[in-house]
Amino acid sequence: MERTRETKSQELIRRLKYNKSAVFGLAIVVILILCAIFANFIAPNSPTPSPPELFKALKPGFWSEDGIEEMPLGADGLGRCVLSRILYGARVSLTAGFVAVGIAMILGITFGTIAGYYGGWVDAVVMRIVDIMFAFPALLLAIVIVTVLGQGLDKAMIAIGIVYTPQMARIIRSSVLYIKEMEYIEVQKAIGSSDARIIFRHVLPNSIAPVIVYGTLMLATAILDCAALGFLGLGAQPPIPEWGAMLSKSYSYIVSGAWWAATFPGIAILLSVIGLNLLGDGLRDILDPRLKT
Amino acid sequence: MKSKLFLVLLLTVGLVFSLVSAASAENILVFGSSGDASRLDPGDVTDGESIQRMDNIFEGLVEYEAGSVLIKPCLATSWEASADGTEIVFNLRKGVKFHDGTDFNADAVVFSFARQYDSNHPYNQYGEWAYWGYMFGDVDKMEKIDDYTVKLVLKRPNASIMTSLAMFTVNIVSPTNAEKYKEDAFKHPCGTGPFKFVEWVKDDHITLEANENYWRERAKLDKLIFKVIPDPSARLMALEVGEVQGIEYPNPADFERIKANKDLVLMSQPGMNIGYMAMNTGYGYIDENKNGVRDLDSEPLVKTPGYFEPLTKKKVRQAINMAIDKQSIVDNIYMGTAIKAKNGMPPFMLGYNDEIEDYPYDPAKAKQLLTEAGYPDGFEVTLYVMPVSRPYMFDPPKIGEAIQSYLAAVGITVKFYQVDWGTYLQETEAGNHQMCLLGWTGDNGDPDNFMNVLYGANACSIGAAGNYAFYTNNTVQELLSAALATYDEEKRATYYKKAQEMIHEDAGWVYLAHSTQNIVFRTNVKGYVLNPTSRKFFYPVWIE
Repeated sequence: MERTRETKSQELIRRLKYNKSAVFGLAIVVILILCAIFANFIAPNSPTPSPPELFKALKPGFWSEDGIEEMPLGADGLGRCVLSRILYGARVSLTAGFVAVGIAMILGITFGTIAGYYGGWVDAVVMRIVDIMFAFPALLLAIVIVTVLGQGLDKAMIAIGIVYTPQMARIIRSSVLYIKEMEYIEVQKAIGSSDARIIFRHVLPNSIAPVIVYGTLMLATAILDCAALGFLGLGAQPPIPEWGAMLSKSYSYIVSGAWWAATFPGIAILLSVIGLNLLGDGLRDILDPRLKT
Repeated sequence: MKSKLFLVLLLTVGLVFSLVSAASAENILVFGSSGDASRLDPGDVTDGESIQRMDNIFEGLVEYEAGSVLIKPCLATSWEASADGTEIVFNLRKGVKFHDGTDFNADAVVFSFARQYDSNHPYNQYGEWAYWGYMFGDVDKMEKIDDYTVKLVLKRPNASIMTSLAMFTVNIVSPTNAEKYKEDAFKHPCGTGPFKFVEWVKDDHITLEANENYWRERAKLDKLIFKVIPDPSARLMALEVGEVQGIEYPNPADFERIKANKDLVLMSQPGMNIGYMAMNTGYGYIDENKNGVRDLDSEPLVKTPGYFEPLTKKKVRQAINMAIDKQSIVDNIYMGTAIKAKNGMPPFMLGYNDEIEDYPYDPAKAKQLLTEAGYPDGFEVTLYVMPVSRPYMFDPPKIGEAIQSYLAAVGITVKFYQVDWGTYLQETEAGNHQMCLLGWTGDNGDPDNFMNVLYGANACSIGAAGNYAFYTNNTVQELLSAALATYDEEKRATYYKKAQEMIHEDAGWVYLAHSTQNIVFRTNVKGYVLNPTSRKFFYPVWIE
């Protein structure tokens, strides 16, 4: 048993290596995670200096002679180091993404499995609720939920988690529907295993692959949506360095020539979304048995 | 089919071009405003955006000299006050007509006043008349003597009444127009001014055209259009390409770019305003009889909803004053478009107390004061942050964030609270806030318009407060009331100076800045004059 699992993961790595874009995506994600974990060691300055150093406001970065040496990417409108805020922002964005997707997974897997496994009216009720939630555009629904819960990063994570739950529930339900018809499940039923045992020991482990793929892809959109909520002023509250909020606070300076305060957070959002999408696509290629050559 | 479509397209384009060329023959000014008007009834508006439209459609009995707050005749040709100042008789201008053809006379004047103060007046129900309460509480009544003479009767002497009469609040409206539209009259403004109302497309634009029958010389502009462009960068770009010919509230960060463009002119002047952070000191009163005055026996002090123990302590409020580096905020966030404030009214006004020494920026002393007050480890407090830029505070969220970091340095954690502008005003007027950012732009150049409206105990009425620190000091109120009833300027000034000393000592506010007012036009726009009240009159303007 142990040996086969090892060869399976070895096989995964081998297949991943051949997928160039997935490796690239993985590299970005790893760098991002490292930035997030070690932000307090890498960042040249505090992301929220107190008291503030307003006199450094909108100073350019390394490309200009007027720049401040210890702020390579320049300063924002309140004289804070853009690079340091982006690094700490990685922590905020990744945490937000993981927590939101985590919430979506817990809720989605619970409801999806119950609906798929038990079928009948349970399935009908759960899936109709899911349909209703699908009828709303994701971001709009998130805004409504944040409005009800109140502003703040924690509320934004919960809102995005709830919004992504239906997708997760649908994915897991379709896997469960397929797996529960398998012979080994019938065998379990025949020998009198409890539903809980069947679900946790057999159904879930076998339907987890698509969840991982879609979870990765969802992470990208969750980070994006979190930034969008931050941009609208509904997500992270000041002084938390959040990419979307940084962007919205600084875009008006682009006209005045101070492009760096908005551009670099934008690039950070772009890179992380690209990285996670490439990785997610790569994982799908590898994990989806139908795509196996 | 395709060729037909092409033809239609060609015709449309042709039509548009011919319209544009026809238009360019006329003298049209499009002004980029930061927001839409709320209502178009001069008696029932309080915000700068609405006032800016009103000022070009309506006129009052008296008006300010261009660029000052000195009074000169307008719809009244002369006036005479009784010895005690409580009765003023106005002789009205003859031969003036409203835009709808109605004659301007004493009935119109009485109508415009009485609908605001007389709750039995049939047109009283169509407005809130908020400014009347702020500024004209001393007015008893306006009486008709004959068709072209009226008498204003005051309850008590009021030194600022003549300057207040030049305010938009008491502009004269057409009674026949009000009768025709009733509750919708605020959508159909009709005055005697240089421009006539044409159309209002909500959140997009308001169009006015020259009044051909104006009693003075006809306006030089044929059309005046107020176009709503909320984003300051978008406003500037619209100006640069000539889509609009003038804009308000340019972003200070864009000033260099504006100065470098020889097609644009930036006009600046010290503004008559104050931007501040108010700290809720805890208590207000409920104005049961709605007289705008705190009746000491029948209206006791009650806790405001935003009551917060630490802020009731003077030492804490002084500590907060010392923890914020105002000079740095003025230099780097206002970007030099303001001067640091130490008092609650602009320095060029009567009664400004220049002897007051501002709280220094001294975090160590602030920390010490907090310890003395019993908060060595600080506390967590909520700050209401305005969602819109105002003439006295261009970028409130940024200022809020700067204050947040300054206070963090002395151990005070600041949480933000942001809501839409209408709710913001409602909640702060009800005292829901612990601390809030706000400010004031003067209306008539009189110190009473700052001191009494913002710092008097009478202005601490929960739900209609103008005193956002809920600073209920009766001695200060007595000084302010005495000042208002005093005509001797020197004596009046001493009252205000004494009041400012007490306000400074009790530190209910962190006074941040007096902003300059800035407006940008294309160079071919001539004749515009900045006014200390920030009001915008386009009558003398033309395009070359």
